[in-house]
Amino acid sequence: MAKDLILATTRSIAKETGARKRTGLFGIGLRNTFPLFPLLIFLSIFFLWPIGAVFVNAFKNNDGSFTWANYQLLFQAPYNRAFYNSIRLGFISALVGAIPGALIAIAIQQRGSVRLKKLIASISGVLANTGGVPLAFMFLAAFGPEGLATLTLKAIGLDLYGHGFTLFSFWGLVIIYSYFQIPIMVIVFTPALDSLRREWRDAAHNLGASNTQFWLRVGIPLLTPSFLASFLLLFASGFSAFATARAMTVGNIALVPLIIGTLLDGNVTVNQFNLGYALAMGMIIVALLAMIPYLVIQARTSKWQR
Amino acid sequence: MAALKKRSFSQSLSIILLILIGILIALPLIGATEFSLRDGGRAKHNFHSYTWIFKQEDFFINATTTFEIALVALLVTFILMVPTVAWLHIYGKKYIRFVEIITVLPLIIPVVALATGAQLALPGWLQSTKYVLSMMYVVLAMPFTFRALDIGMRGVQLEVLVAAGRNLGASWRAVILKVITPVILPSIFAALFLTVALSLGEFTLAQLLHWNTFPTWVAVAAQGNILGATALSVGSLLAAWLLLFSFTFFDRKKTNHQEAA
Amino acid sequence: MTSNTLQITGLSRRFGNVLALDDFNLSLGKGELVALLGPSGCGKTTALRIVAGLEREDSGQVILGDRDITNVPAHQRNMGMVFQAYSLFPNLTVEENVAFGLQMRKVDKAKRMKKAHELLDLVGLDSQSKRYPHQLSGGQQQRVALARALAFEPDVLLLDEPLSALDAQVRANLREEIRRLQLSLGTTTLFVTHDQEEAMAISDRVGVMSHGKLEQIASPDTLYNSPATAFVAGFVGTMNRIVTKLSQGNVTIFGKSVPAKSTGFSDGDVIALLRPEKVVIAQESRSPNATVITRSFLGAASQITCRTQDGNIIQSLMPSYESGELHPGSQVTLSTTQEEVLIAHV
Repeated sequence: MAKDLILATTRSIAKETGARKRTGLFGIGLRNTFPLFPLLIFLSIFFLWPIGAVFVNAFKNNDGSFTWANYQLLFQAPYNRAFYNSIRLGFISALVGAIPGALIAIAIQQRGSVRLKKLIASISGVLANTGGVPLAFMFLAAFGPEGLATLTLKAIGLDLYGHGFTLFSFWGLVIIYSYFQIPIMVIVFTPALDSLRREWRDAAHNLGASNTQFWLRVGIPLLTPSFLASFLLLFASGFSAFATARAMTVGNIALVPLIIGTLLDGNVTVNQFNLGYALAMGMIIVALLAMIPYLVIQARTSKWQR
Repeated sequence: MAALKKRSFSQSLSIILLILIGILIALPLIGATEFSLRDGGRAKHNFHSYTWIFKQEDFFINATTTFEIALVALLVTFILMVPTVAWLHIYGKKYIRFVEIITVLPLIIPVVALATGAQLALPGWLQSTKYVLSMMYVVLAMPFTFRALDIGMRGVQLEVLVAAGRNLGASWRAVILKVITPVILPSIFAALFLTVALSLGEFTLAQLLHWNTFPTWVAVAAQGNILGATALSVGSLLAAWLLLFSFTFFDRKKTNHQEAA
Repeated sequence: MTSNTLQITGLSRRFGNVLALDDFNLSLGKGELVALLGPSGCGKTTALRIVAGLEREDSGQVILGDRDITNVPAHQRNMGMVFQAYSLFPNLTVEENVAFGLQMRKVDKAKRMKKAHELLDLVGLDSQSKRYPHQLSGGQQQRVALARALAFEPDVLLLDEPLSALDAQVRANLREEIRRLQLSLGTTTLFVTHDQEEAMAISDRVGVMSHGKLEQIASPDTLYNSPATAFVAGFVGTMNRIVTKLSQGNVTIFGKSVPAKSTGFSDGDVIALLRPEKVVIAQESRSPNATVITRSFLGAASQITCRTQDGNIIQSLMPSYESGELHPGSQVTLSTTQEEVLIAHV
C-alpha cells in the first residue's frame, strides 16, 4: 500500500515533467504561494532542519571546529564493518525478497482471479508494514526450540538446532526481513506487471513470437527497469531497518542503525557523539544512492506505462 | 496465450510456485499463532495469552500515550494537509509537482538518521513533550497522506466542482462545507487512517528519542513473557487485516459509485 | 482447392452465461475486405480473435486456403493483426517494431530492415523510423501498427477497431489509407468496427452482427437499400420508424396507401421503415400534413425534422439548395417515393 503510492507519485511526476516546461516557482510573487507556507515551514522544522543539523554536525569536532575526522572514522573498524554488514544485509534481503516476490506477482497476474488479487494485495499490504518487534516475536515463537515451525521441519528431517541454527544471526535477520521484503516486492512490482499490456502479448504472438520469444524480446526488457527499481527499494528498506534488528541481535552483529542507536542512548564517551552524526549521514548517502536511481527509473518507465 | 492447448505447463508451474511460497509464508504465521495459543506447553491451547497484555500494570498508561500521540498526529495532518492540498488543486496546480517531490523526501531518508537529526536539532522544550513524536509522525506519513489526498481530489476534479459551486452562487463557507468536504471525505479518511496506523506502530523514532510509547513498552515487557508477546503480535496482525479488509470493501462501494457516475 | 481464402464455419463461443458467438459462418475471398459491424457485445471482436488464434472457440472451424488452422497456435497462423491501440512494443523503435514479424521468421537483419522501411514509406512514416512509440501521435502509432502487420506479407490482415481511439479527422484519413494499402497489396482483410460509416465506406462486403449472430452479409449498397431485418435496417444509416397499420399487404404512410414487404406479418399495428432521403417534402400545397420542427444544415444536404399530424417525428434528407425556404413552423406535405416499404414488428 505504501509503496504503490510512491509509484503513483513518480508516475505523475513523469507525466507533468514530460508535458510542460519548467515553471519559475520563485518568479511568481510570494503572495500567490502564501498558502503553501504552513506546509513548507512544518517540513523545514521537522525534516530539513534535523537533516541539515546532522550534515553540519558531522563535520564538527567537540570544540566545534571543522573536521573530516568523523567521516574518516567511518572507513575504519568497526564502522566500516558495520556499513559492510548493513549494505550486505540490505542487498541480500533485497535479493531474497525480490525474486520470490516477482515470481509471486507474475504467478498471481497469470491466474487472474480478481478476488485472489485483492486478497494477496491486502495480505501483502499488512505484511509489508509489519516490522520491528511484533515480527521478531512471531519468528522467535515459530522458530524457537519448541516452535511449530522448528518441529515441522524436524518432522521432515530438517533439524535446525542440531545444525547450529539460530535466528540471532545475520542469516536469521535475512530470513525475518524476507517476511516484509517479499510483500513489498509484490506490491511494488505488480503495477509494472499490470502495465504489461495484453495487446503486446497478443501482437507478439500474432507476429509469430512464441511465449519464450515474447518474454525474451518484449516482456523481460520491459520489466527489467521496474524490477531493478523495486530491488533498490527493497535494498533501502533492508538497509535502514532498525526495530527488528535491535530486537534480534544481542550486539553480535555490527549494523549501522544499531550503532547509531547505541550512540543516541548516550552510553558512550562524549566525543563519539559527532561520530553518530557522521554515521547517520553515511546512512543517508547510501539510502540516497539507492533511492534516487529508483525514482529516476520509475519516472522514466511510467512514461510508456500509461 | 500462444499455444492454446499447451498452456498447462506454465500454468501448473505457477500454481506449484504459489503454493510453495504460500506455505513458506504461512509457516511462521501459523507457528506463531499456535505458539500464542499454548497454555504452558503444547498440550493445552486456549486464548489465555491474549489477555496478558491487558493485565500488565503499565498497559493503560502506555496505550493512552500512544493514543494521544496518534490523535495529535491526526489533527495536525488534518489541519496542515487538507487545506494545503485543496488549495493546490484549486489555485496552485502548477505547484503540485514541486510539493509532490518534497513530500517524497521523508521516504528516502532512513528513519534512524532522521531521529538522530531530530534529537540534535529540535529545541529542548519541544523534545520534552511527547507530541514531538506526533510532529515527526506527520512528516513520516506525509508521502502517503499527500498522495491519498492528491489522488482523491484529482479523481473528482476538485477545481471544477468548486468553480461550479461558486458559479451557482455558493459562498466560500458553503463551498467548503457542502462541496469540498463531502466529496473528498473518503480521501481524508484514507489519509487519517494512514497517519494513525503509522503512529500506533512506530517504534524506531520513539525508541531513539527515548519515549515510552506502546510499541517501545511492549518491546521491553515482552522480554519476560514471550507467549504474551507473541499473542499480541499475532493479534495485532489479524486486527490489521480485519481492518484492511473492511476498509477495502467500504472503499470499493464508494469507488463503484464514482465509476458508475 | 477453393478460391475462398478464409472460411469460418459454425463458430460458437460462450463466456459464462453469455453466448458471445452463435453458429457464426463467414467466407472471405482472396483480396476481399470484409467488415464485421455491430454494437458492443455482438461478438465481432470475439470472432476476430478466434480467427487470430488469441481466443479459443467452443466449436467450429477456421480454414485458411485448404488448411484447417483451428488448432494451430496463434504465432503460427501467419496473420497480421492491428489492435485498437497501444500495441506497439514500447522498448523497440518504430523500425524494430515493423521488422519484428520478419525477425520472428528468421529473416536476416539487412533484409528485414529494408522491408520495414519499405512499409514505413508506404504509410508515410519512414522519417520516424528511429523513434519510440510513445513519441508518436495516436494516428502515427496506428499507421506503424499497420506497417508492422503487413511487413511479413501475411495471408490475412485482421483489424480490431483500429480507428476507434482516434480523432475524427485522423480516422477518416486512415481508413482510406487502410483500404488503399489493402487493395494495392491484395491482402484478404477482416475488419471489425462499430462505426457503420467506416464499414460502409471502405468494405467490399459488410456483415452486420447482433447477439453473436450474423444478421446479414452483403455489399454496402445491398445492406443499405435491402436490409434483411429490422435490426440491420436500423443499424445501417438512419431510418424513420412510422407507426401504422398493415392491411392486406398495404400500409398507410402520409395518408397514402403503400405496398409493404409483408411476408410473415399479419394485419394490424406495424412499424414502417423509411429512409430520410425517400421522404419528399412539398413546400407549397393546399393540404399540408406536417409541420417543420428543425432544419440541420449538414453541408451539401440538410436534414429536416417534421412532425406529422398523427404525431410521428419524421426526418427527411434533401439537397441544401432546395431547402432554403423551410424553417421551424413551416407547413409542408410529406410523401414517399419508396415503392415497397420494409416493415417491422411493433
